[in-house]
Amino acid sequence: MKPLRIVIAGVGGQGTLLASRLLAQSAIKAGFHVKVGETYGMAQRGGPVMGQIQIGGEASSPQICPGEADALLGFEEAEAVRRGVSYLKEGGLALVNNRRLPPIEVISGMAEYPDSNRLRALLSEVTDNIVYFDATALAEEAGDPITTNTVMIGALCASGVLPFPEETIIEVLKQTLRPAYYETNLRAFELGKKAFRDAKN
Amino acid sequence: MSRHSVAEDASGEVVLLMGNEAIARGAIEAGVTVAAAYPGTPSSEIGNTLSRVADEVGLYFEWSSNEKVAFEIAFGASMCNQRSLVAMKHVGLNVALDILNPVSLRGVKGGLVFVSTDDPSQHSSRTEQDNRWLAKLNCVPVIEPSSPQEAKDYTRYGYDLSERVGLPVMIRTVTRLSHMRGDVVLGPINRQRRRAEFDWEGFSFRVAGFEKLFRRHKERHEKLDKVQKEFEELSFNELKMDGGERLGIVGVGFAFAHLVDAIRRLGVESKTAYLKLATSHPLPEKLLAKFLRGVDRILVAEEVDPFVELHMKALAKDVNPSVEIYGRMSGHLPREGELDPTIIGRALADLLNMEAPCKPRLRLEAETNKILFDRMLTLCAGCPHRATVYALKQAVKEVKGDLKGVVVNGDIGCYGLAHAPPLSFEDTYFCMGASIGVSQGMAHVGVDTVAFIGDGTFFHAGIPSLLNAVYNQAPVKVVVADNGTIAMTGFQPNPQSGITATSKPAKRIMIENLAEACGVEHVEVVDPYDLEATKSAFVRMLKTKGVAMVVARRICATQAIRAMRPKRPVPYHVDHERCIGCRICLTQFGCPALAWNNETRKAEIDRTVCMGCGVCAQVCPQGAIVKEETS
Repeated sequence: MKPLRIVIAGVGGQGTLLASRLLAQSAIKAGFHVKVGETYGMAQRGGPVMGQIQIGGEASSPQICPGEADALLGFEEAEAVRRGVSYLKEGGLALVNNRRLPPIEVISGMAEYPDSNRLRALLSEVTDNIVYFDATALAEEAGDPITTNTVMIGALCASGVLPFPEETIIEVLKQTLRPAYYETNLRAFELGKKAFRDAKN
Repeated sequence: MSRHSVAEDASGEVVLLMGNEAIARGAIEAGVTVAAAYPGTPSSEIGNTLSRVADEVGLYFEWSSNEKVAFEIAFGASMCNQRSLVAMKHVGLNVALDILNPVSLRGVKGGLVFVSTDDPSQHSSRTEQDNRWLAKLNCVPVIEPSSPQEAKDYTRYGYDLSERVGLPVMIRTVTRLSHMRGDVVLGPINRQRRRAEFDWEGFSFRVAGFEKLFRRHKERHEKLDKVQKEFEELSFNELKMDGGERLGIVGVGFAFAHLVDAIRRLGVESKTAYLKLATSHPLPEKLLAKFLRGVDRILVAEEVDPFVELHMKALAKDVNPSVEIYGRMSGHLPREGELDPTIIGRALADLLNMEAPCKPRLRLEAETNKILFDRMLTLCAGCPHRATVYALKQAVKEVKGDLKGVVVNGDIGCYGLAHAPPLSFEDTYFCMGASIGVSQGMAHVGVDTVAFIGDGTFFHAGIPSLLNAVYNQAPVKVVVADNGTIAMTGFQPNPQSGITATSKPAKRIMIENLAEACGVEHVEVVDPYDLEATKSAFVRMLKTKGVAMVVARRICATQAIRAMRPKRPVPYHVDHERCIGCRICLTQFGCPALAWNNETRKAEIDRTVCMGCGVCAQVCPQGAIVKEETS
């Protein structure tokens, strides 16, 4: 049996690692095998980061193959497109935070941040099942921009692709976070869920 | 912070562990009492985990000043009948090699397991060296896990093996395993503690006699024979061969994980025999011979050198000369770099005349790469190293008249990013501490240099080199980028931090005092957030005749932000009345908190990224960058 495959794309410092850990811990709580692949030697220093999560089914390697991912969580627009065109399966679900984090090439004037329409057209060649939304704004609304990752997980949860209920995720949040952070993250989770539903209605 | 699951006395429970955490858990389950490490990606989380739980589980853990020292500490404990662990990245073993050799030759008493985390494809290393060769060179058994569960279980087993045969045992991982997470079933923790007693018969010249202990090459070989016998029967190695298959595949260590996934995707379970090989040295030759005789063709998948492939070719000559062996040597797999299910799947499909599964979208990827930046690495917002390098450039320009007036020899750490645009002011870096050494060779032939080294690296390998410069009168100029922590690998403390790995107070050993003790006569300490003062100090250093050092000291920005949480720093902003759009802050300083607004044609600061250091305000010639008013 195939596992559920999720790719997380973002930039170092955005909390992508915590997002994949949250999903993996929830999966284990729900009784699934789980594999999470990540490389983050340079994650602190603004480099691109990618996580690959496989829930249930048969998987030994933490690395998935091209065009296999059932869902893409894009924490940053350009990084979402970069990973999406490689890994998302045809018609797969893409949830994309439309915030842009310009890299040092753009900041120092060596390169331009590509036009949004051109970027999005590339991802649209793979799937039309895409939701763009400002997850960072919702995280700020929840009380802290650092909870962008929980907003993204909330949206993923509302999409219905996860094989376990949202209560499992909330339980893991409660167990792993300090009370002050838990409240903020819970708000972020709810805002993420709402964002997905609003986008689909 | 919630309790760490590696310390839980919860045998049978399923928890999510990273490969490195699983190794730490394996050592805890084995009853390790002494562990030491030097941080280095991808090994650091082994030590991070142990430092967090050491007191709780009752073991001693330290961040040592380098890998050789760490290894010696483990060996000292082993000679006193204690189980010990050392962890390092692959190149760390180069540093520790001098002690590994006598340890394997004399043997161990308490189980000694050392972890080498290799880095195929060089995710965060200067080389993808395969440390199995070093293990073979030193007659050390090597066990290679393929999952976090095995990482834990094999580490635990490593201790029993080490004590049974009296050899140190190497657990070898690769980046993808060290950093992957998976479900792991915990085992019981061995809480029994042995009395620590030096093994006089085993190690003392005056008790056992010099001759008995000194020449032990033969004993070491006999020990290895014993290990080989044990490996022939070990359940970690798994042979799946029904007799009907003509193609066999060997998956060594972590490559096995990719291999089984590739077999599943192709659906060729019945057409292929496989050997899962966890023990790559010494090789279980009888098991391999059985496999070599059972099939016509064999693909060997391993990372990163053809270590097993080469030995299988040699073995095939005796047991089945007609078998064809494919792998990295034959070109069926790439000669360099890590493997994955896609690469192995393609090789398998080729050998079976099948269509490769999961084809990459080459056209779409090429189109994306055409318009998309790489996202180069850069120093963090507010990083003191950025200010240090900026000031150094100004000073070199002033004193030498030209930025190429000095060769900047860098070193290993975050500040290695000084080479990256827009600072672009670093010419070389090689290995821990080399900046000060190579600078001396250049100085002796009249080439001016600056050695640029971090605090952690200075403690690790800079001191002997600095001593040498003073003693042999090489007038090197040393800049220490001192951010008070080993930031690159996750903010581990060092001898200057005033705190041990397990958060106990420690004496602070200051770099300027060490330099003075080494005989350096010109030493200054500056705060890089004060650009003018830092530049002046660099000018004085460059004008000094003999050895001179400037310590640019300021706490790592990321650590400073963590320390003030949940508060945020007071950010700066660009006064658009005064900004003339010259872009100097962006093109010459390039802090990631800065951005260019194409509509206003002015610079901007992202207040969620800015850490309030104020250095860009000193860079701006218009005085247009100002601190936000606090309410």
